[in-house]
Amino acid sequence: MTPADGLGTRPWPVGPRAIVFLLLLAAGSWGVVYLELDPADLLPGAGGVATTKRFFARALSPAWVTEARFVPVDSPPLLIGALEAAWQTLRFAAAAVALSLVIGIALGVPASTAVWAPDPEGSPSIARRFARRSLLPALYLVTRTIIGFLRSIHELLWAVLFLVAFGLNDLTAVVAIALPYGGVLAKIFSEMIDEAPRDSAETLREAGARPLQVLLFALLPRALPDMTGYAFYRMECALRASAVLGFFGFPTLGLFIRQSFSATNYGEVWTYLYTLALLVILFDAWSGAVRRRLTS
Amino acid sequence: MERCCSTQADILSAQTRSRQQIRILHARRPRDWFLRTSLIAFAGLLCAAIWIGDFEWKFSEQRGRNLARFAEEMRPFPLQHEPWSTDVAFRWSAQLLDDKGAAAAAKTLAISLVAISIAGSIALVLSFPAARTFARPDAWSRSSPASRPSNRIAWTSLYLSTRAALIALRAMPEYVWAFLLLAALGPTPWVAILALALHNIGTLGRLGAETVENAEPRVFETLRAVGADRTQVVAFGLWPQLLPRFLLFYFYRWETCVREATVLGMLGIASLGFWIDDARARGHTDELVFWVLLGSAIVLVGDATSALARWAVRRA
Repeated sequence: MTPADGLGTRPWPVGPRAIVFLLLLAAGSWGVVYLELDPADLLPGAGGVATTKRFFARALSPAWVTEARFVPVDSPPLLIGALEAAWQTLRFAAAAVALSLVIGIALGVPASTAVWAPDPEGSPSIARRFARRSLLPALYLVTRTIIGFLRSIHELLWAVLFLVAFGLNDLTAVVAIALPYGGVLAKIFSEMIDEAPRDSAETLREAGARPLQVLLFALLPRALPDMTGYAFYRMECALRASAVLGFFGFPTLGLFIRQSFSATNYGEVWTYLYTLALLVILFDAWSGAVRRRLTS
Repeated sequence: MERCCSTQADILSAQTRSRQQIRILHARRPRDWFLRTSLIAFAGLLCAAIWIGDFEWKFSEQRGRNLARFAEEMRPFPLQHEPWSTDVAFRWSAQLLDDKGAAAAAKTLAISLVAISIAGSIALVLSFPAARTFARPDAWSRSSPASRPSNRIAWTSLYLSTRAALIALRAMPEYVWAFLLLAALGPTPWVAILALALHNIGTLGRLGAETVENAEPRVFETLRAVGADRTQVVAFGLWPQLLPRFLLFYFYRWETCVREATVLGMLGIASLGFWIDDARARGHTDELVFWVLLGSAIVLVGDATSALARWAVRRA
């Protein structure tokens, strides 16, 4: 950018973007120094090499039948078991997303500002003025705080808290995913409602519609395609989260990955890993197609 | 008095007409069967999971007792079965922070920063071969001379293999990557860094590739037409468009990296999660809750920093 192009002069010799880049470099370097990272540690140790070799040797030959020598009598064949685990992963994720959508809409609407139009000309009633000056900002602040809190705790940490409080229970996993996801959905939904075109909202408002009517018939319909697309994306993330919760004892894919890995049945590990990858990739493809059509 | 003379009948007929128009517009709305089926299937899946998913939704008496016990146990240890004292609670927290908390928090941040630096640099490079508009012999040139088939095959296979690698990297959650890496590398911070980096290369690479594909092609076509080669187009046309968008994604992903870096410690790597798992294993609910809240504070600080940085990038 030359000074002659008339876009004004820069206050600093380097632009904000250059500063951001320098800071990024500094932050990364600080991390390396603070953690005393040694590139030599990137090579597996003596025990690690053997494990790694045996593990990767099975990458292209995943197990088709159970590798464990002793299995309980009533356990299903490996592939059926993998499918069953995939179904469990899907079940937890879907229930969690359903619950988080409820939370997301319940908190996302009061956290958006588009619903509340500025007062019409003239003197509004005292009740209305009170609502606008104190109730609405308070409501906004409270919902934003709840959203921030829900979002700031990772689903696995919610799971650990609930495990300690309620023990291993299917609902634990669902609520653990649903709380932070509800927070994220609320934040994104409120932004989407605020950023959606306001044309129909203003038309309705001029025709005398109340805020609730404006919300239901103008703002939400405008934001709905984006919101639906985002819900699909969150389901994709929930599948991964649900699989990982298996590491904490829930009957999803993570449980079987951990069990087979610690029993050194690496072929089985790959079977479960491929099942997980397939599940996520299939949903990814589906949700990608849906989002492309929603936004076009 | 001309204006007020529209009769009741006039108004009614006007209403009917506009209703008809709405009906016609409604009938003519674009309909997409794939989209419609997908949405019904998705909604059905969610409802089925709730209604027939076999979850125990009732808040039983047992759950109430569990919650009460948990609420008592999460009080700081010196205050259990004692009246509340902010002073004691504060000293207890300061002690924990001083002993382990501050160092663990700094390590968590450091891990996330190194991980996102690695992921960002690699993903930035990979977004080019993963973009359909770039990975072809005649990128952006409108009057393309017939390219050799070998050339075309080379570019296509480069494109497909990069895409496949990005998809595979993304499909595996960070936690699974870390679990597998831990067995190979032992408990070093590298495990968390590599796990975060691998997953985020997948995400950032895809986002970067989409940015390249969605970039306004006319500039590049013009540059090509006046004789610029691929490198020059990238350096002078694409780079300035790509960079700000990419930085935004970078900071968004960094926010998740901070969250995940906390959690990955539970596998035995020295981040905050290590102490979370430690407190859980020893049954110290008070410490567990304290670490989780500390993690929450770190995340909030990270989110605020990221929001500030994104604002700076947007302003630039």
